[in-house]
Amino acid sequence: MDRLNLEKYFETEKQRQFGTDFFQDAEHYEVWDEIDFSNLEEVDGENTFEIKAEDMIYYARGCLDDNPLMVDEEYAKNSPYGELLPHPLFVTQIIFWCVGVRGRGNWIRTPGARNPGQYMEYYEPFRVGEVIHLKLRPYDRFVKRGKYYLQYKIDAYNQDNVKKCTCISTLILPRTREDIRKFLRGQRGLAD
Amino acid sequence: MHKIQFDSIEPGYQLPSFTRSVSQEVFWKYAVASFDYNPVHCDPDWVRTAQPFGIPQTVAHGMMTMSFMMSVVTNWAYPAMLKITKTESKFVKPVLPGWTITCKGVVSEKHVICPGKNYVVIDVRAENQDGELVGLSRTEVQFPD
Repeated sequence: MDRLNLEKYFETEKQRQFGTDFFQDAEHYEVWDEIDFSNLEEVDGENTFEIKAEDMIYYARGCLDDNPLMVDEEYAKNSPYGELLPHPLFVTQIIFWCVGVRGRGNWIRTPGARNPGQYMEYYEPFRVGEVIHLKLRPYDRFVKRGKYYLQYKIDAYNQDNVKKCTCISTLILPRTREDIRKFLRGQRGLAD
Repeated sequence: MHKIQFDSIEPGYQLPSFTRSVSQEVFWKYAVASFDYNPVHCDPDWVRTAQPFGIPQTVAHGMMTMSFMMSVVTNWAYPAMLKITKTESKFVKPVLPGWTITCKGVVSEKHVICPGKNYVVIDVRAENQDGELVGLSRTEVQFPD
């Protein structure tokens, strides 16, 4: 996908660091029918995420939101909040960063995955300067109308272990590793 | 910034809508913003044959559609210093490049608990330019004391 030259859209330090190729290491992505649901132990995300103002601002801009509380640092500092507010789905950026390429939960990168809907609970807003880490564990796996759903519970904490947010992350996935390989070859690997 | 009194809000109250047009460039920019570079959103060549949605076109990130639905809520709640505590979404139809998405929110429930814990539920519908439903969300918004 590097041939698409997405670099021209990069604005932040993390955007310049994060790999854009979701085919890279896809052979190591967790697969629907291989995840061990007999072991529901929480695991750490691969990376931590130090929140910078630019991370919050460019998430909001990326979803075409121009609310000054989320995109104008000076305006937000002079508001009753006294600081930038995150878009509620800013956690999406944090999750992709923290899961990384090789970490548990890397099935969220699976080429061909479909998003049926998501669930999130918020306890404290994310703040500039915090260092966020994730705890992940398998939550559910089910078949519905011929589609293969996978869910992980993902909790986000700051550097003081204050829980900020819980997500039940859900995707419809290719069932087997061979189905993923079909997608890697540009063939269809999902049932209708 | 403005204040919204819990007593002044009743089920049926409609929030200002949020409308945005999307394109392949918007999908790319959202991929950069979210770090979700899945080829189903970013790679028109790949999707022509792989067709995860059964169509030979890229589709918008579900999280972008959900972000649009959340913006209906934040544009109303954030200036009033109301707190979003919970949200869930369902994506009904893939969003294609060239579409215009309009999200409309309405207060569907009013939960009278006690000062500081009172909250409302806002249901948001996202529709394309032809009025077809593409997404739904349900968000809880808590009022301060």
